[in-house]
Amino acid sequence: MDRLIAIITSDDEALRNTPLDRAVEGLTLDHLLQACRALDSFRRQTSNLYHRVRALFFLSSIHRYSLPRLGSVPAFGHIPFRAYTQFLDRRFEESISILLDADSADGPSEALSSALAAAYRGLAFQTLADQVRRSVRSISGNQWMFRCGHAADYPLRIRQELLHSSSGRFPILRETTPVRMDLSHSAWSDIFFLGMDYPEGARVLNISIDLAITGRGQPKPPVEAHFRVIDRPVIRLVSVDLNAHVELSAVAEVFDFAKDYLGLLKAAVIASGIVPPGMEGAPASLAPLLERLTGHPGHGIEIVSKVNDIPKGSRLAVSTNLLACLIAACMRATGQVSTLTGAMEEDDRRLVAARAILGEWLGGSGGGWQDSGGVWPGVKLIRGVQAQPADPEFGISRGCLLPRHDLLPDDRVPPAARQLLQDSLVLVHGGMAQDVGPILEMVTEKYLLRSAREWQARGEAVGILDQVLDRLAHADIRGIGSLTQRNFDAPIQTIIPWAGNHYTQLLINRARAEFGSRFWGFWMLGGMAGGGMGFLFDPEIKPQAATRIQHILSETKRELEGGVPFAMEPVVYDFRINPRGSWSELVPAAEALMPPAYYVLTAPALLRRESRSLTPAQRADLEHFGARSREGGEWAAAGATLIDHLLPETAQSKSASSSLDALLESHGFDRVQHSQIRADMKSGRIGLAQNRLPASARITNVDPGELPGIDGVHSRFVSIGQDALAQGSIAAVSLAGGAGSRWTRGAGVVKALNPFCKIAGRHRSFVEIHLAKSRKASRPYPLAIPHVFTTSYMTHRPFEASLARESSFGYQGPLLLSPGRSVGLRFIPMTRDLRFAWEETPQQVLDVQKQKVIESLRAGLIQWALAAGEGSDYRDNLPLQCLHPTGHWYELPNMLRNGVLARLLDERPSLKTLLLHNIDTLGADVDPGLLGFHLDSGAAMTVEVIPRLLDDRGGGLARVDGRIRLVEGLALPGERIEFDLSFYNSGTMWIDIDRMLAAFPLTRAQLRDQAAVDAAVRDLAARMPSYVTIKDVKKRWGRGQEDIFPVAQFEKLWGDMTALPELDCRYLSVPRLRGQQLKDVAQLDGWVRDGSAAHVASLCDWQ
Amino acid sequence: MTIDKAVITAAGPSQRALPLQRLIDRDGQDRTVLAILVEEAAKAGMKQVAVVVHPGDESACASAAEGASVKLHFIPQAGGAGYARAIWSARDFTGSDPFLHLVGDHLYVGSEPGACAARLVEAATRERCSVSAVQATHESLLPNYGAVGGQPLTGHTDLYTVDSVIEKPTPTLAERSLVVPGLRTGQYLCFFGMHVLTPTLMDVLDSILAAGSTPPPSFSSALQALASRERYLALLMDARRYDLGVNYGLFMAQAALALNGRDRDEVLTRLVQLLAASPARKVSL
Repeated sequence: MDRLIAIITSDDEALRNTPLDRAVEGLTLDHLLQACRALDSFRRQTSNLYHRVRALFFLSSIHRYSLPRLGSVPAFGHIPFRAYTQFLDRRFEESISILLDADSADGPSEALSSALAAAYRGLAFQTLADQVRRSVRSISGNQWMFRCGHAADYPLRIRQELLHSSSGRFPILRETTPVRMDLSHSAWSDIFFLGMDYPEGARVLNISIDLAITGRGQPKPPVEAHFRVIDRPVIRLVSVDLNAHVELSAVAEVFDFAKDYLGLLKAAVIASGIVPPGMEGAPASLAPLLERLTGHPGHGIEIVSKVNDIPKGSRLAVSTNLLACLIAACMRATGQVSTLTGAMEEDDRRLVAARAILGEWLGGSGGGWQDSGGVWPGVKLIRGVQAQPADPEFGISRGCLLPRHDLLPDDRVPPAARQLLQDSLVLVHGGMAQDVGPILEMVTEKYLLRSAREWQARGEAVGILDQVLDRLAHADIRGIGSLTQRNFDAPIQTIIPWAGNHYTQLLINRARAEFGSRFWGFWMLGGMAGGGMGFLFDPEIKPQAATRIQHILSETKRELEGGVPFAMEPVVYDFRINPRGSWSELVPAAEALMPPAYYVLTAPALLRRESRSLTPAQRADLEHFGARSREGGEWAAAGATLIDHLLPETAQSKSASSSLDALLESHGFDRVQHSQIRADMKSGRIGLAQNRLPASARITNVDPGELPGIDGVHSRFVSIGQDALAQGSIAAVSLAGGAGSRWTRGAGVVKALNPFCKIAGRHRSFVEIHLAKSRKASRPYPLAIPHVFTTSYMTHRPFEASLARESSFGYQGPLLLSPGRSVGLRFIPMTRDLRFAWEETPQQVLDVQKQKVIESLRAGLIQWALAAGEGSDYRDNLPLQCLHPTGHWYELPNMLRNGVLARLLDERPSLKTLLLHNIDTLGADVDPGLLGFHLDSGAAMTVEVIPRLLDDRGGGLARVDGRIRLVEGLALPGERIEFDLSFYNSGTMWIDIDRMLAAFPLTRAQLRDQAAVDAAVRDLAARMPSYVTIKDVKKRWGRGQEDIFPVAQFEKLWGDMTALPELDCRYLSVPRLRGQQLKDVAQLDGWVRDGSAAHVASLCDWQ
Repeated sequence: MTIDKAVITAAGPSQRALPLQRLIDRDGQDRTVLAILVEEAAKAGMKQVAVVVHPGDESACASAAEGASVKLHFIPQAGGAGYARAIWSARDFTGSDPFLHLVGDHLYVGSEPGACAARLVEAATRERCSVSAVQATHESLLPNYGAVGGQPLTGHTDLYTVDSVIEKPTPTLAERSLVVPGLRTGQYLCFFGMHVLTPTLMDVLDSILAAGSTPPPSFSSALQALASRERYLALLMDARRYDLGVNYGLFMAQAALALNGRDRDEVLTRLVQLLAASPARKVSL
């Protein structure tokens, strides 16, 4: 429609900033479809990048939200499988074309719209990312690196000052760099896409700081890089803090980012031009290049990184500043930065910042443009810049890629203000380390859609920055505290509600309760709260406040850690403003030593070698280290630690192993079954490929017309249901024994307890929401609905603790936990299963550079599986992370085995029906109409299914060899079949207790006979298929570092009960609002925007 | 503007032996590098040539240049090291006159002996300003040369006004400061080792050397100052220059002289025989 295109292209700011929602308000289906056609045509024709991108986001939003909201678009539709595979391969244009053809042929549907929304969104982000990539490459000073493909064309040389050797050793160039904090929080205006489209609104107040964890010495620049020439023709990379080192001798190894922990150092080597990006793919040795670089045959370079005790996720841009620090050292060493020592010139700082952006892109990560602010000194205002005719961005985007840095002089930030800020601010790491990537995408999308509230909030945040600047000029830190608190409470969380969280809110409340008006305000750092944060206090009480904040952090973490993923113990920092930015010193060869920890890491391998095989430099280096360690202090301590490292470690691993065995014993681990599964897996009898039904099985779709829908639930059923409720014959069972690994990416916390969303003014967990629904459903009746949460070895204790702490969230009905009775021990996966998962099933291809990283990572993980022993027990982690729940099939039988069902029946003999649902199906409630429908049908089990959309993966409702049943995605012989199925399993089922018991076969009376129950469960379990699955599990180490490993486990799933011929199962089509599951944190924003959250809230009673 | 004085620098610690090396010139004559350079200057119309030498090398150089057709002066470099100081050592010799400058570790092979210097002198005389000979050079060779940035001079295809001069720039710096319209991507105007300089250059050297900085100022920094003081041009040469100080530099210069001279056929035949007799080796390109 012309109006939408006018909004995109208008020069009139008011029109251009019209929210999409307002522009499409009141449009009919025909008008909206017409608007989509016009927008699609416009985006194909326009040459303006941002017009194109905005049109794409408009299209995505209309398909995702506006069309389904009308209610007149048919729910069912067929998504062509080829469109899906093209989508996964990031061929978005092709995918869109196929989907539009289907739309023309079959007419619109919610299913097609879900796929179109995803494809348009993917294309929009890819277009933006491609543009940033082009801009990075086109920056003057970066271009040569992309055309240098051979050592013979290699133009860099090491500066002479670094070649003056002594006893084979060369001087060391030592670069130290502060990190940055953002005093206003910029409302994420430093995202490249924003800065390039809205330069006037892209402003941040950025401060370079030195840090130290309180009690561990004076603040100093948190990151260091060391560079020197070595007498071996390799690039040696050492990360002191990550305990990793490697010697690279081939060009290809430099580009293998995920092979080890040294990806950041490799990105620095490439981005600094030492191994130019143009050489990627060259099957060459590094030796000729290094000979040209150093001017000496047989010589190479060594680069060492060190992070001074700052954990990951600090929100202080440690990684970006370390990258910039490494790049600065490399560029100084090769003369690309004009000064070898001391500070840098402004032009050089900008060049280093541009190279850091390149490095982040190469490494597949990416922050904002203010992140390398530590390269600059002191306090600075960083601003977006309008593109001028001479800029490569001119005519493409309104703003330039790189911003402008204005150092704020004393008249704008007086020394008293700087001092007061240091005296007031308690800077902390709250312990959470989360991926902010999805948040940055949300910000970009909302900005381009100009969503009304968010756009207004952005304007407010821009105003707050001006006020912060004003208060800073007046040294009014109290005023700043009030502004940063207001910024967090209003604009930031209006734009992105997920930037705040329950943990942070508790911390603020507790600080306020304890310090009252002397607590001046909270200050969120970086992408989201929970990691790096600031609390401003009256300077008079700052020392006490810092001590108390450490306690509050630790106590609150202990309280919540069952349901909130923490990566580390919270810490409080000492800090000071760094006045000089990135700084370099040259240590002459005769005195040159790396940091003490370097020798602890690298010396053991050298000491185990024959001394005659050491190079002169290695020998001299060790001698020098030996001499220093006799002088005492940190060098002597390093010497002592080195001795420890030379001896094999035994005690700790033994104790971890015995603790795991004890856990297995206490949770009913079945060793015989485990050994059988292991043998089957190793021999290839079971595995990912073997999960599938035989190819001969006839699997066909169940036509939407074959199932009753919610509109078939008439008032007669409602009254049947109400009667049943009045008689107390229904209980709710929420399945909460699983790990919820997609929600926390294998962090090992309880998803059900995660307070993930603010509803009715407070963050609520899944448990609280389910209880609030049962409370509301019970309200009209004399008997409250009994609610059971099934738990497992992993979730039971945190569940108990949480319910005790929260007084069962005030739930007045019977509330029971059903503890798990089975546990599995994870396996190192078979490489054939890993290959099957990554190569044989459709996989989401990532952005080009991220894809390279993930492919390198996967190659590394296959090597890990081989080295660790395919199919062997997975024990190399915390004991709880080595166990796994055995699938939700067991959760209902566990209620039989652990006596919970018997107790429930004793307490409520009238109980006849269970509503069973997954913990993440938030729309499921005890609806009288649906209950009545189930009771009226006389079925043993009524399964709720929903119309399938693009993201509904993992099986569905199908006719298998003539019988309608649920089929797991793992069991489908081909991916394509899933796309022919109209219905997706919501996981919600109404179960007739007696008929279900009969399937085992058991009776109510037999529930007291433990032996009979155990035997019945074992017999039925044997009839259920076991699926081998690959799950991600986190292994934490160091200071907030996390690795994710794919491990194999097996599970049995409740949906397979529908295949039992003796169980009479019926199916009911319910709306998406009722049946959709929240599996991934990235779904949350859409869940709020499409009205699902409001619907769930309407089902709840919080009293 | 009359240019009849030349200055050849031959005092660098690593290059002082190079002018004494013997080569067979285009006419098949066994001559020293210095003699060939002096002849290049003479054929460009120079009447006096000063050779700046390392103190003590005067007699060796004098015998190397024996038989020259112009008046020779041997000036020991005084007051410290460095290329800029070497030029400055000839200050009394050049006086208030412009002069041709050649470096002692390069040989120039144009269409005929003296053609390179003659073309440069002719351009400087016509334009009445300092002119440096330059050559379009791939960025991989930037670590070996000084380079200039500038704009094409209207009405000329081979002359550029010089805005900036940088000694051995990194490709990063070159890309940001030295891109010249009309050159291929990744190519820069690098010095050919041959300049015509006005007396202002000596004034510049007076001031920057008097400042006594460490490390000593480079010749390129003096040329950068010259560009800011007066008109300064670069002349694009299509001839070849050979750096004698690099690996195989002398050999390549000899081959170039021979292949452009009287004995071309004989040398070519020998080279082909040499190639035919060499065992085949895989070459990595």
